[in-house]
Amino acid sequence: MTDNDILIAEGLHKSYGHGDARVHVLRGLDLRVRAGEFVAVMGPSGCGKTTLLHVLGMMTPADSGVVRFKGVSPTGARQRNQLRRHEIGMVFQRFNLLAVLSARDNVAISLRVRGRRDDGHTAELFRSLNVEHVAGRKPSQMSIGEQQRVAVIRALAHRPGLLLADEPTGNLDSANSQELLTIFRRLAHEGQTILMITHSPEAATFADRTVHMKDGVITA
Amino acid sequence: MTFLPVANILHHKLRSVLSAFGIAVGICMLVVLSGLSRGSLSEVADRWESVDADLIAVPRGYDEADNDNLITLSGLGVPDSYAAYLLREHGDLVRRACPVFLYKLNLGGQGHMSSGIDAGDWDVVAGGKKLVAGRLPDADGRFARWFDENLKQSKRTGPDDEDEEDIPPERQLVDIAANGGFEMVIDQRLARVTKLRVGDDVTIGQHTWRVVGIAPEGVVSRIFVPRRTAQHVFGHSTLRSTIQFIQLQPGVDPQAARTELTNDYAGLILVTDYRRKLEKQFEVMFKYVSVVNVISLAIAFLFIMNTLYTMVLQRTREIAILRSCGASGAFIVRQVLAESLLLTLLGVAIGLAITWPAKWGIEHAAPLLTVTIGWPYIAAGVGAAVLGAMISAFYPAYRATRVDMVEALTLE
Repeated sequence: MTDNDILIAEGLHKSYGHGDARVHVLRGLDLRVRAGEFVAVMGPSGCGKTTLLHVLGMMTPADSGVVRFKGVSPTGARQRNQLRRHEIGMVFQRFNLLAVLSARDNVAISLRVRGRRDDGHTAELFRSLNVEHVAGRKPSQMSIGEQQRVAVIRALAHRPGLLLADEPTGNLDSANSQELLTIFRRLAHEGQTILMITHSPEAATFADRTVHMKDGVITA
Repeated sequence: MTFLPVANILHHKLRSVLSAFGIAVGICMLVVLSGLSRGSLSEVADRWESVDADLIAVPRGYDEADNDNLITLSGLGVPDSYAAYLLREHGDLVRRACPVFLYKLNLGGQGHMSSGIDAGDWDVVAGGKKLVAGRLPDADGRFARWFDENLKQSKRTGPDDEDEEDIPPERQLVDIAANGGFEMVIDQRLARVTKLRVGDDVTIGQHTWRVVGIAPEGVVSRIFVPRRTAQHVFGHSTLRSTIQFIQLQPGVDPQAARTELTNDYAGLILVTDYRRKLEKQFEVMFKYVSVVNVISLAIAFLFIMNTLYTMVLQRTREIAILRSCGASGAFIVRQVLAESLLLTLLGVAIGLAITWPAKWGIEHAAPLLTVTIGWPYIAAGVGAAVLGAMISAFYPAYRATRVDMVEALTLE
């Protein structure tokens, strides 16, 4: 471990199901991410990328192994929830914006859930990601590219230590994908730590480092 | 920022309105049914309490504490001689004793306990209220004089095997009518419903009565007729009326006088006891109304629970998104409870808004019924609604906290 490692995963195991239907997804996975690093995780479907993201995002515990975030290893649901609330931002392939709220309110409720006040950072993000004009619109009134950028704003509004992105370009056309990845690149340049799951080799080229997964372990 | 529960309610307008309407019907039923049952009885009790008397003489047995049949008391009751006895033997206690013959008459599509009174007792019976139009039945006493003059011409056996005088059969109805015996005063409310005015004739059963006066609302009965006529036509006796209103001398304690004056001929109750006896008489009806109210509210809240439960099942992704942002279980519970509460308050608002038209509709369709929309019923309705909203939202809220975040966000 170096002083600069913000996230460390050691010997992660995770299974789903019971009996004959039990699937061993993560099989002793190790991973380190440095602060401010933009890491892309690639691998074939079913190799456990999304499961890895859920474990690192504190959404579900590993069956065994250790996850340390800024040196802290959460021991229970409460601690995982605290880390998720204050240190992690998530971007999903399907954006997962709340359909009944406007873009601005989608971001605002995430801050409220996190017990944070908007100090103007949100407006700055809307401006820098070029979606000011959709702030009052609901997701159904936005393009998919705009929706994904709003999802990124929601994930960044509370200034998380780690941004996790699960196939963020999976539902975007090439122009929107390029634009989003450029934003990620810029954020990383500004010091934001990003871990991105992707199928796309092109998307991975935007990252500082690409790791490959197969059968539940990092292979390279 | 838009409050998430508000946004959800506005986003699912039809579902929200239907849910709120379920609550609204329950609230409206609670307030209106309570107001109808209590209001109509309270109106009757208010009218009886308007009499300028302290005690009511009733047949023995009706004065017992557990006897609540006073409301149904009619026909022959207390001997008229009891009034003379009170004034003669207890003049120090009793100032006035006014015999009243009660009998149910149907008018305006509803039965009314009419009062057969002597015109001279009007000030006591009406509690000092003046007629708003016309005059009292047999106001000049011409009929009473004719009746008493003719009593001695026929004898028959009356109650308690007493010899009783009566009008000879061949002179009865025609002559009674000719001498002003079939005169009637009705109150304003009944006049409004029946559209009867002073001078109109109205046939009730076998007899045609002439309306000679209109009494203000709030007097003890809606119909007043000459007591002698009522005794003769409905009671077939001239020796007894149904009750007597007893006005005590100033300063006399009614409770003490009651004990003193009770004898074998009559029992006594306090005028102020009438309301309690009336309400006790209708205790079963109140229970019935309460049961109906509870059932209607329970159905309304089952509806809410079903709606919220369905909502939770439909919004597992939304809940999971909030959880992925770090929302605590308490935050999720608050969202569900708040939505339930908002739907309920919307329902309460709609329910109260339709309560007044419902009151108007009932009173328009049945003008002699009284619907009293009282704040205690409204407060009870709102309290029950809020409590019901919390209880019915609890299980859906609990289920919301159990949503599997990973599963909900992973499944397409």
